[in-house]
Amino acid sequence: MPNRRQLLKYFAALSAASFGGGMLSQSAAARVIGWKNWSGSQSCVPSARLAPASLPELQQLVAESVGPIRPVGAGHSFSPLVPTDGQIVSLARLNGLVSHDPAQLRATFLAGTQMSAMGAPLHEVGQALINMPDIDEQVIAGAIATGTHGTGANIGGLPSFVTGLEMVTATGELIQCDADNNPEVFQAARLSLGALGIVTKIQMQNTQPYRSRRESWILDWEDTLAQADQLANKHRNFEFYYIPFSERCFLSTHDITEEDKFSTSVSDGNESVQDLKMIRDYLSWSDTLRGLPIKAIAATMDREVVVEASWLNYASERNVRFNEMEYHLPREQGLAALREVRQVLEQHHKAVFFPLEVRYVKGDDVWLSPFYQRDSMSIAVHRFHSEDYRPLFNAVEPIFRKYGGRPHWGKINSVTRAQFAQMYPRWEAFVEVRQQLDPSAKFLNPYLASLFSGAA
Amino acid sequence: MLDIRKPLLLIFLSLLCACSGDSEPMRQLSGPTTPADDRVAELYNRSCRSCHAQGAGWAPKTGDLQAWAPRLQKGAPVLLEHTIDGFKGMPPMGMCFDCNEEDFTKLISFMSGG
Repeated sequence: MPNRRQLLKYFAALSAASFGGGMLSQSAAARVIGWKNWSGSQSCVPSARLAPASLPELQQLVAESVGPIRPVGAGHSFSPLVPTDGQIVSLARLNGLVSHDPAQLRATFLAGTQMSAMGAPLHEVGQALINMPDIDEQVIAGAIATGTHGTGANIGGLPSFVTGLEMVTATGELIQCDADNNPEVFQAARLSLGALGIVTKIQMQNTQPYRSRRESWILDWEDTLAQADQLANKHRNFEFYYIPFSERCFLSTHDITEEDKFSTSVSDGNESVQDLKMIRDYLSWSDTLRGLPIKAIAATMDREVVVEASWLNYASERNVRFNEMEYHLPREQGLAALREVRQVLEQHHKAVFFPLEVRYVKGDDVWLSPFYQRDSMSIAVHRFHSEDYRPLFNAVEPIFRKYGGRPHWGKINSVTRAQFAQMYPRWEAFVEVRQQLDPSAKFLNPYLASLFSGAA
Repeated sequence: MLDIRKPLLLIFLSLLCACSGDSEPMRQLSGPTTPADDRVAELYNRSCRSCHAQGAGWAPKTGDLQAWAPRLQKGAPVLLEHTIDGFKGMPPMGMCFDCNEEDFTKLISFMSGG
C-alpha cells in the first residue's frame, strides 16, 4: 500500500499533468471521441453527440436534422441499434418523474430516466414497478424500446406495462398515443427500437409498493430441471443459472412478503464470475477437475435470503462486462433447448465460464415483443467482453432457432428481415406505421434500414 | 503428468481471499461530495455517482485517495483513455455519451481528489 509520501507524489505528478488544463487540453484538440456500448462490442464515430436540455430543444434538433439520428440510452444493448455516422441523441438531461395517477397507480417518467432512479420517487407517491430486470442501469426508454424484461411466469416484459407514450416524430412534431388515442402508433411504439421517433415520456402501469423476499440456493442440474416448471408456477419470480462444467445451478425466487427487512450474508455475483474465470484459466484442460472447486464451494453455500423493498431487491450490479445472446422460446420447449445448449457449450466451447441464465416471461400483445402471444422461457449465453463471442453464439443460435426462439432485440443475433417477418404476425403493420411516421428514414441506421427500409 | 496441486491450491486460496475484506483503513477526503461547477455536477450526478459515490464493484470511491493512487500513478493520459475506451468494469465513456474530453478530465479530477 502506498504511504503518505507516495500519495503526495502521485498528486504532485497529477498536478504536473494538469488535469485542469495544460497537457490534457492540448491532446483534447486532437482526440475524436466516438460512441461505444457497455461491452465495447458496438461502436461508431457519429457526426455529433447531443444531449438536449429541453423538449423544445429536442424538437428543433430533430426537425433540423437530415438524419440519420439515433437515440441512445445507457448503451446496454449488444445489437447494432445505435451505430451511425449521423447524430446520436441522449435524453440523459430529460429525466425524472413527471406525474402520477394515484387512482390507477400509473406514473409518467421522462424518457431519459435511469431505471435505478425510478424506485425511490415511485415509492414516495405510493407506487412500485410491477417487475424489474436484473440490472437497472438502463434508461427507461431504451429498456422499453428493446423489450427488456425481468423474470416471472405470470408477469410480462416492460413494454407490456406501458399505458401511454409521447414522442417527437421526424418533423419535430410532438405526438401522444395510448390504447384509445393513436392506437396503431401506440401498439408499434410500445416496442419500437427507437425507429419511429424519439420517445420523450412514458406512462406505466404500476402496483402498490411491496416488499419482496428473495431466496437463492444451489441445486443439482437434473433436480433443477425437474423442479423448474413447478418453481416458475409457484413463485412470483423464478430464475436459475447453470454453472458450466459443474452440474450445479444457482436458483433464485422472489415472493411478496410482509416480513421486516433483513438479509443473510449474500454472495457477490461479480466476484463469483471472476472466480469462475480463474478456475477456467487454470483448469479448462480437465472438465472433471474444473468442476471440483465449484462443487466444493457450492456445497458450503447456505441458502441466501434478502427481504427488501422490491425496487432494491431485483437488480444487481454487473461489473464484469460481457457480450450476450438471449433467445425467448416457447415455454414448453425451453428445457429441451437448454439441454442442447449445455451439451454444445461443454463439448466444444470450454473457454466459456459465464453461467447460462434462464428466466420466464408471460406472453403479451405488443406487436414486436418477443413474448407476443406466447409464454416464454428465456435462455441467455454470455462471453467475457474481451473474448470472441462469435464461435459460441454461432453454435447455439441454431438451437434457439430450431425451438422457435425469438431473439432479444438488444442482444446479439443474426436474424434477417424475412425471418423476423415470419416470427412476428404484426411485422408488416409495424413497418407501415414506421413508414408513415418517418418516410425519409431519418431514424434508421444501417442495421435498422436492413430491417425496415424499402420493400421486403 | 501435470502437477495440479499448485493451481488447485491457488484457486482455493484466491477464493478464500475473495471472501475476506480489505482491512486497510481508507484515506477519504472530507471535501464536497458534489462538484462545484454546475455542468460537472450534473454530469457527475447522472453518470458517475451511482458507482463512484459508493465504490460499487471495483470502482474507486470518490475522494478515496488510497483507491485512486494506483490509478493516478499510471498517468493522466492513461486514465483518460481508460475512461473513454472502457477498462475492466468501467464502461466506455462512463456511460456519459455527451461528455467531451474536458468533462471527463474534470470528473476524474473531482473524484480523485485532485
